[in-house]
Amino acid sequence: MLSISYDSTFDGFLSVVFEIYRQRLSVGDIRPDRLEGTSEDLFMQPFWVETNPDSARRLKRAIVNAASEDVLYLLDTVFRSEESGVEMKMLAFLRKLFSGIDKNYGKNPTSEEMLPLYMIAQSVRREAGDMRGMVRFTKLEDGTYFAEIEPKYDIVTLLAGHFRSRFANERWAIYDSRRNYGIYYDGCGVMEVSVPDIKEVTAGLPPDSIKEMWKDFYKAISIKERENPKLLKRCLPVRYWKHLPEREASPATWLESDWINPKFTRSSPSTLLPSDVAKANSRAQVLLR
Amino acid sequence: MDVREKLNILADAAKYDVSCSSSGSNRSTPKGGLGNGCQAGVCHTWAADGRCISLLKVLMSNACKYDCAYCVNRRSNDIPRATFTPKELIDLTLEFYRRNYIEGLFLSSAVVGSPDATMERLVRVAKELRTVHKFGGYIHLKSIPGASASLLHEAGLYADRSSVNIEIPSDQALQYLAPEKNHASIYKPMNYLAERKLEYNAGGNFSRYSPRFLPAGQSTQMIVGASGETDYQILTLSNGFYKQQQMKRVYFSGYVPINADKRLPVITTKPPLVREHRLYQADWLMRYYKFEYNEILDEQHPNLDLELDPKVGWALRHPEFFPIDIQTADYEMLLRVPGIGVKSAKLIASGRRYGKIRLDSLKKMGVVLKRAKYFIYHPDTPASLRRLYPEMVRPLLIQQAKPVQLDLFNDQPLLLSAS
Ligand code: SF4
Repeated sequence: MLSISYDSTFDGFLSVVFEIYRQRLSVGDIRPDRLEGTSEDLFMQPFWVETNPDSARRLKRAIVNAASEDVLYLLDTVFRSEESGVEMKMLAFLRKLFSGIDKNYGKNPTSEEMLPLYMIAQSVRREAGDMRGMVRFTKLEDGTYFAEIEPKYDIVTLLAGHFRSRFANERWAIYDSRRNYGIYYDGCGVMEVSVPDIKEVTAGLPPDSIKEMWKDFYKAISIKERENPKLLKRCLPVRYWKHLPEREASPATWLESDWINPKFTRSSPSTLLPSDVAKANSRAQVLLR
Repeated sequence: MDVREKLNILADAAKYDVSCSSSGSNRSTPKGGLGNGCQAGVCHTWAADGRCISLLKVLMSNACKYDCAYCVNRRSNDIPRATFTPKELIDLTLEFYRRNYIEGLFLSSAVVGSPDATMERLVRVAKELRTVHKFGGYIHLKSIPGASASLLHEAGLYADRSSVNIEIPSDQALQYLAPEKNHASIYKPMNYLAERKLEYNAGGNFSRYSPRFLPAGQSTQMIVGASGETDYQILTLSNGFYKQQQMKRVYFSGYVPINADKRLPVITTKPPLVREHRLYQADWLMRYYKFEYNEILDEQHPNLDLELDPKVGWALRHPEFFPIDIQTADYEMLLRVPGIGVKSAKLIASGRRYGKIRLDSLKKMGVVLKRAKYFIYHPDTPASLRRLYPEMVRPLLIQQAKPVQLDLFNDQPLLLSAS
């Protein structure tokens, strides 16, 4: 039994599958090299497969022929989940697909091998969808809009199309600092980039008044009588808060949040917001009764 | 007063409008311009109360000359007043948009001067955003009751969506609580815009260069629990909006007491959040699950069950349809099974063409078997057991129901659940 390692890319994975078929390998496990150093099964023999663009391309064609473009796209999405053991699940699916036993196999999303992949793909797609809203740009000195994200899945390249058409006339970058690479749009095309030190990019920027106003707006829009921390955390998982200006304060202070922006109250103590009036009214009413 | 202070006042004053959707418009980025629309809408963040935020939702002004009992901006309240200049609003929208804080602008206003003067200012902001700044993002403009047809028409050319809030479901109660308003003044702009939109669509010319009129349609909102209407009255009204005015969304807002006013429930009343949640569920059934409003409620059952969701309620009132065989039941019928959502119904329908759907794969699809199991059967179930006994199932389902979460503000059809 082999424990096959590869370079953690999708093409690398496809090359592995290609080699498994070509050399009739007996596989116990497929491990991306980003897991290097974590414990490996001692009874399996390590085996490295080099990524080969040509084998990857041939396998892609085979998948499209046996199933469809959609299935290839599905596999690519599933692969981005980086879930441990996902390679073996995909291999199981491909084996069934290539066995040709059932010629409709590639179309059935509820088969034993496809359903788990289908569900994983859904969560990956959901994160990519949500992230379109949760990217927060900062304006750099040279006018580039820059955003740092740390998504759970490897989805940063899936965002390229959306932002390219939305901010077609601007230069912008979205950087996945967990995986240390990102996308950059220079006004014409999107390219993958990597920077040695992410902190240096945004270091020394002057405070952004627009960002402060966004935080104000965020606080003003919430309705005290309806606050619901549990629901908030389900809609907006805490793992994203770090990069959201409106949520970047520590979770603890937010939970018993003072719903009036303290900065604002301090600077103009005489101003009563409409919601203050509501609060004062309700206190008065309680006293009266 | 600086922009920041105005923003604090005018965002705070706009927050009771629950409309948040940014969907229904697939505007492409204008050449040399900024921003586009997404058909499905994009949520950018969620407020501490769990509501999706996708638009810069503010009032142009809160200096209202009307005096509606339920409203924080009414003229008899002693609160700070502020008014944005069009330029301040435009800059704020563009800057927020460039940082990807928002999907666009939701602009409403209190009535300042006259309805036309107010509407004119709203339209000016939208027009400048579109024409001067080539802004392709989402714009939602409120129609001010009483504004003239030409201004409404112009609004429709620049905005993606428009709304005028009915606020109080019955005309009588509205006139009592908002003396300067009545249903006629609200229906007039609604009907006008609906007709115009039909006219534009009837042109049949869908090239991307042809002028478009309110591509994302209209929405409205009503306050629940401030006056005495039943849920049946409210659903009947919503149904009318969907059918006659081609409304895209009807929002419900559980009454949050703001003003001490003897015409309204006492100020310490808690907002009826569970009832509001049930109304949204009923609304979902109408929009995504192909239920008719009068299947959900009728004159004998005029109010929604607060303990169980309306889908379970319907199923328990109709034991004659259940349990169903998931291998053969119509897609419409699958949708009616408590615990099965739109996504899993679709999966079942496409998967069963290639083989049997097993119980264990239902679970993997996200079907809530705890609930669904009473309403479906399997080939192995003996025929004698294929009957639904509502009086036995009801207490079991209520037991499972956990405290209600208010999670129905998004535009995606969620799994309807009793939990
Ligand atoms: S007209 Fe609108 S803003 Fe003015 S008091 Fe009535 S509801 Fe409030």
